[in-house]
Amino acid sequence: MDPFGNFINGTVTLFSDPLGILIFFGGVVGGMLFGAIPGVSMLTLAAILLPFTAHLSAEHGIMLFSVIYCTGVYGGAITAILFNIPGAPENAPTAFDGYPMTRNGQAGKAVGAAVMCSAIGGTVSAVIMMAATAPIANWAISAFGPPEIFALVFFGLAVAATVGARTLWKGWLSILLGLMIAVVGMDPVGGIERYDFDMPYLLAGIHFIPTILGFFAVSEIFVQAERKATGVYEAPKLSVNFPSVAELIAHKFAVVRSIVIGFFCGILPGIGATLAAFMGYNEAVRWSKDRKAFGTGKMEGVISSETANNAATGAAMIPLLALGLPGGALTAMMVGVFQMHDMEPGPLVFLNSPDLVWVVFAAMFFANLSILLVGFLETKTIINLLRIPFQFLAPLILLLATVGAYAVRGLVIDVVVMFIAGVAGFFLRRSGYSVAGIVLGLILGKIGEQTFAQAMQMLHFEWTGFFNRPIAALLIVAALLTVAGSIYSAFFRKDRQ
Amino acid sequence: MIKTKTLLMSVGSVVAAMTLSAGTAFAGCATDGMPGSMDRPGGFPERALGMVVPYGPAGGSGQVAQAMAQAVTELTGVAINRDHKPGGSGTVGMTAYLATPANGYTVLEHIDDASSAHALDSGRPNPAEDLIPLVISQITFSQIYIRASEDRYTDWDSFVAWVKAQDGKATIANVSKEGSMERINMKYLTDSTGMKIQQISFDKGAPRYGALAGGQVDALFEQPGDVRKFLDSGTFKPILTLLHSRPGAFADVPSLTDAGFDFEPLLRFRGFYVHKDAPADRVEWLQWAFQKAFCEKSYQDFNESKYMNLIESFRDSDGARELITATIAQYRDVYKQLGMEVK
Repeated sequence: MDPFGNFINGTVTLFSDPLGILIFFGGVVGGMLFGAIPGVSMLTLAAILLPFTAHLSAEHGIMLFSVIYCTGVYGGAITAILFNIPGAPENAPTAFDGYPMTRNGQAGKAVGAAVMCSAIGGTVSAVIMMAATAPIANWAISAFGPPEIFALVFFGLAVAATVGARTLWKGWLSILLGLMIAVVGMDPVGGIERYDFDMPYLLAGIHFIPTILGFFAVSEIFVQAERKATGVYEAPKLSVNFPSVAELIAHKFAVVRSIVIGFFCGILPGIGATLAAFMGYNEAVRWSKDRKAFGTGKMEGVISSETANNAATGAAMIPLLALGLPGGALTAMMVGVFQMHDMEPGPLVFLNSPDLVWVVFAAMFFANLSILLVGFLETKTIINLLRIPFQFLAPLILLLATVGAYAVRGLVIDVVVMFIAGVAGFFLRRSGYSVAGIVLGLILGKIGEQTFAQAMQMLHFEWTGFFNRPIAALLIVAALLTVAGSIYSAFFRKDRQ
Repeated sequence: MIKTKTLLMSVGSVVAAMTLSAGTAFAGCATDGMPGSMDRPGGFPERALGMVVPYGPAGGSGQVAQAMAQAVTELTGVAINRDHKPGGSGTVGMTAYLATPANGYTVLEHIDDASSAHALDSGRPNPAEDLIPLVISQITFSQIYIRASEDRYTDWDSFVAWVKAQDGKATIANVSKEGSMERINMKYLTDSTGMKIQQISFDKGAPRYGALAGGQVDALFEQPGDVRKFLDSGTFKPILTLLHSRPGAFADVPSLTDAGFDFEPLLRFRGFYVHKDAPADRVEWLQWAFQKAFCEKSYQDFNESKYMNLIESFRDSDGARELITATIAQYRDVYKQLGMEVK
């Protein structure tokens, strides 16, 4: 049967089963809620539910996880926008401009843009997933090895210096600080212990979730507390004005670009939505005529990040279902759900369980659409949280952030790291450095270091080998041109001044 | 030196015993003879147990921890809360576990990485002496895999010939960390064949398997349970089993003996431990619970789905100590040969 006919069959199967409908909507709401609360991400919900899926049918179990994945990635955008607390790492770039929009009295527009673009990104990605899962999966793993992924990360980092810093040099220093933090702990290839200062906990490295919570949420509390203490604090203006259709249409290129980027990152095994969000944001900056406006409350930043991370969800299902290769932690847990039902994701699933595959595809499609409905309803109420006075809101945010940092691994050191990052972020922001750049350096640095080391092993430690691989060469040249261009424009502007 | 030789012979006998069994169906389960119930000493445990797992929930350790916790709960009615503390090749989880009270309420899941870490640095805990092994519930061997559609080489002999012709340019996907089980076994292979092959380190399974499926590398070093779906779907095929006899499920794949190698391969094993200072009566109850749970149907089904039934996966506390001690000695021996600093 053709994909459309299969999709209709999957839809009918999904919505003709009362238990299926219940699980579907439970997943939609649960994913959004757990995604929105820092520390208890969609992964927490998935880990809690994993043993219970043994009592569900395979269709229901896999469908539940795929729905949680779609809506959980969106859910984290809300707290990122309203309180500068990304619910998950893939929502961190959303905070770069989403939170400044809230401070500027545009919370409704920011959340509305996140709702719309999460739904669009996820839905388009689900459609592509349905149309061509197997060929895309095979192409991705053939065309993209460690050299190409490193080049992609390098390409992303090249533009990151222009995000949120007062000068280009401070932008680069911010990124370098993030890269330095990324190398703490065992090196990802040889297992060599570095910068652990004889503290076993540091061997696991500095986890990026406590760092994000510190640099964003805690430092923001300090900034606002200082304003409160010095009498210049202004509560964010409450606004539930959603973006107009015209405003969204004006960003159509950003949406399309982010769908392509998000989808592309999602299909690479082990990469997933976090890189997608950062790359989507970075490309928005790269292609903008007004780069300096990013980080100050530009809606395109929210649109690019949220479109890309949701576009990665459907894409991440492609290597999982077609090849049995999970793209991230949640898709890895889905492997566990398959196994509980004596199944293995991979090519045989399409042959042995086509009904399951199409129910899951249909569920993901409608889960992304439901973000629109539930998201708008939720937004109208959740924005009212901004009415809470700062003296009550600040301790609540600190409490949530502390719980979130501890919940990552159950380690006190993660809470310590969060507060150190909070204090450091407070002073770095005052000095014109970019906490966004630091976080970019940290997250992309971990992926970049690993893939660089793997690439060098593959290329027999001859760096020129990157240029024998067309995709890697293209990305590296583009990255170098970007760096050169930004340095040139920094000097050029200086000369003119 | 004599002690090391004795221990190496011990490893050899352990492996030989297992390979003799390989391919045969086990008529009964290892702990069928144990009593089906045991009085709780002083009411222990009065609440749920905790289990520190030094790896993420989705990997091999996370899965075996989940399966064993479920089996123990089915057997005893005692819930087990798993606490995943990944990082540092198990170091973070081990450190966190040692900081928990030695009252028997918290157990540890760990793999052979703990043994290799102690072999390299005796300051790290020795799982056979600083902890009490409750049970080792998974023991498995490694294999070399290629793409099933590969036409440059189709079996072990043609693979070795092809690798040698590449003059060090051939690649194999492997797990990270110098001195790991994977690295040591690969050293045995390269030394025995004289082939030079570049090992590419992937610490996560999906990119590692994707690298072979996508043609980014020429071969893969892995354990069969982890790649079972690729074997069942015909995507990968094994060309060498790192055991001295052929397990029944891989009867057409040459063993080390078939390939003319006499080294003793290192095995992957996963088990459960408790503090050595935990009260003896509680330890005894935990040993019963975990060893008996090994034979619960749910756990046996799990092990079968992971190809963990091809060689005997069970070791009681004494058997576990013997395996760990022999493994540590073997690692130390190889580390010294490699010129690595053994503390």
